[in-house]
Amino acid sequence: MELCSESGVSGEEFPASEKAAELLREYAENVSVDAFGNVTGFVKCDDTNAETLMLDAHIDRVGFIVTYIDENGFIGVGACGSPDVKTLLAQSVTVHGKKPVRGVVSTLPLHVKAKKEGNAPEISDISIDVGMTKSQAEELISLGDRITVDSHFRELGRDIISSAAVDDRAGVCAVLRSLELLKDRKPAYNIAVCFSAQEETGERGAKQTAFRIMPDRAIAVDVSFGTTPDSSPKETAELGSGVMIGFSAALDKEMSESLRELAKKQNIPFTSEIMPSSTGTNADSIGTIGKGVRCCTLSFPIRYMHTSVETVNIRDIESTAELICEYAAGGAKNA
Amino acid sequence: MLDKLKALCELNGTSGDESRVREYIKDHITADEVFTDNLGNLIVFKKGKRSPKNKIMFAAHMDEVGFIVTHISDNGFISFGAVGGIDPSVVLGRSFVLESGAYGVVGTKAIHQQSADERRSIPDFSEMYLDIGAYSAKEAEKLAPLGSRAYFDTDFFEFGDGYVKGKAIDDRLGCLVLMEMINGEPEYDAWYAFTVQEEIGTRGAKAAAFTIAPDIAFVLESTTACDIAGVSGAKTVCRLGKGAVVSYMDRSTIYDRKLYDLAFETAKANCIPVQTKTLVAGGNDSGAIHISSGGVRTCAISVPCRYLHSPSCVIKYDDFLAVNALAQKMLSAAANL
Repeated sequence: MELCSESGVSGEEFPASEKAAELLREYAENVSVDAFGNVTGFVKCDDTNAETLMLDAHIDRVGFIVTYIDENGFIGVGACGSPDVKTLLAQSVTVHGKKPVRGVVSTLPLHVKAKKEGNAPEISDISIDVGMTKSQAEELISLGDRITVDSHFRELGRDIISSAAVDDRAGVCAVLRSLELLKDRKPAYNIAVCFSAQEETGERGAKQTAFRIMPDRAIAVDVSFGTTPDSSPKETAELGSGVMIGFSAALDKEMSESLRELAKKQNIPFTSEIMPSSTGTNADSIGTIGKGVRCCTLSFPIRYMHTSVETVNIRDIESTAELICEYAAGGAKNA
Repeated sequence: MLDKLKALCELNGTSGDESRVREYIKDHITADEVFTDNLGNLIVFKKGKRSPKNKIMFAAHMDEVGFIVTHISDNGFISFGAVGGIDPSVVLGRSFVLESGAYGVVGTKAIHQQSADERRSIPDFSEMYLDIGAYSAKEAEKLAPLGSRAYFDTDFFEFGDGYVKGKAIDDRLGCLVLMEMINGEPEYDAWYAFTVQEEIGTRGAKAAAFTIAPDIAFVLESTTACDIAGVSGAKTVCRLGKGAVVSYMDRSTIYDRKLYDLAFETAKANCIPVQTKTLVAGGNDSGAIHISSGGVRTCAISVPCRYLHSPSCVIKYDDFLAVNALAQKMLSAAANL
C-alpha cells in the first residue's frame, strides 16, 4: 500500500511510476517506464499464437498545478483532473518543488467571513500559504510544479482503508495482485501490463501504450462509485459487494458476459456496472487504438472519489484480482 | 519550546472534555497551589520573588473546537455536530480520530455525481456523515457512542520561514505561556487559570474569575489574522510576523485603556514586537472575566493566527516568543499599578 503515498499527479507521475515499476518487476519481464511515466511489463505465454491481453490501470492521481506566486508569496493553483475543490480549505498540502514544500490552503475563519450561505470555493479562489515571501517561494517553487493534498493512510473498519490516490493506485494494486495469483497458473494470453499516465486529464497515457502494445483484448481496471448515504443506490455499488463488471455500448459485450459467467463459476463476488454509452475510463480510448481492441472494465467501488480520503474495501480489490487472474488463465475460453 | 507546543496541540480536548489537557498541564507544572474546580478549570497559584499590590490573574483556555457524535444510522454512518464555531467547509474530505482511537472520514458523493448546485454548495453539519467503515449501527456504536467526541486527524509541523501549523494552537499556546511562567521564577505572586469551555461561550472563565477574584487579568490567546491572498488593509485584522497582538476592543470586551497603553510601553521598552487589531472582531475569555467579581481590569495578549478553528491553525513562531516575553514583563509592570 506504499503506492498511495507517492505523489504522481497527472503529467508528473514518475515517483509513483518508479514505485509501480519496482513492484511489477517481481511478476513481469521487460518492465520499463517511458518518457510520459507510463509503466509497461510483459508476462509471456507458452503458446506463441496466443492473443495479447492488456491489463491497464492508471498511475496518475488528481491534483493541482502551480499557476501563480503573488507578491506576498501565496501560491495560486489550477486543477489537474477534477479534484473536489469543496474539500480543500485549510487542508495541508505539499508543493513538489525543487524539494517538497509543505503549506496550508488559505481560508477566512468564520469570525470574519461574510455570511455567504452555500458558497463553495472555486479553483480560482484557492491559494496556498507556504509561509514564505515571494522571493523565498520562488527559490523552491516554479510555475508548473504539482501539488498534492497531504493524506494519512488510515484503516477504518474491518478491511476498509482510506487514503488519497486510491483512484487508481488500488487498481494498480489489483493488477499486481492478479499477477501474483497467476504465478502458479499458466497464462492463456500474452499479458501486457500497463500502468498508464494522464488518465485523469483525458486518458492520454493509455493511448500511447495501447498503440505500442497493439493488444487483442484489454481489461481496464479502475475505481467506480461506492454507495454513500447521499448517493443513489441505482448509480453506485456497496463497498464489499465485489468486483464491478462493466457493461457499456463502448465495451465488448461478449467479454463482459464471459467475465460475468466466469465470476459466477468461480464464486467471486461481483456486481454488473452498467454505463450506457461510454465508461469514463481508459477502456474508452484503448478500444479504438490501431485496428480496434476488445475491451472490458473491471472496477471496484470507492467512496469520496477525487478527495484525499478515498475509501475502499480491500476485499473488493481482491475479488477484482481473482477475476483478472481467472480470465488471464483462460477461464473464459473453456467456459 | 516548540516540542512542548506540539505535545499540547496533539492532546485531544474539546469543550467539556478537557481532562487530558488538564492532566498534562498538572503533570508539567510546579506550583504552590493547584486545584480543579467544579467545572474543570485548573486553578494555580505560584509565589514569586515578591508580593504585588494587585492580585493578578493570567488565563488561557484548554479546550479546542471539535465534534460530537449525535446519531448513528442503521448502516453505521455517524451524524455529528460541531463543538464551537467550525466552518463546515474545513470539514469535508478529511480524516478524523475518535475518542475511541478509531479513524473516520467525512465526504460526500463523488464530484462526478454531484449536480451543479451540489458542486457549488457546502452542506451543513446536519447533512454530513462520518464514515468509520462500520458495517452496522451496532459496530459503529462500539467505536463512536453517542456523545463521544471526534477530532481533526492532522499533523503538527513547521514550514516555510518559521511558521507552525497544527490543530488546537487556539489556545494551547496560551496554556504553554502560562506553564512557562509558572515553571520560571516569576517576579511576583500570581494566579493562573487554565479554563474550560471557552469555545462554547467563555463559560469556564466565568467561574475561574469568580473564584480568583483578581484586580487585573491577562488573557493569553490566539487571535484571527487574515493576512492572506485577496485580503488587504484593515480586513487583514493583524499580521503574522509583526509580534504580539494587544487589543483595544473586540466583540466581547472594551479593554482597559491603561493596561493597553502599558502593554505597548512595556513591549517597546523591552524591544518586543507588538501590534494591535485593525478590526473589531472575535472575542475571548476577557469577555467573561472583565465583568466578573465586580469588574476586573483586563488585557488580552494574543498570537496572530491564520485559519483559526480549522485543522490547520498557522502561526509564526517568533510571534509566540513575543507573546511569551510580553506576558512575563506585564506581570512586573502591572504588579504595583
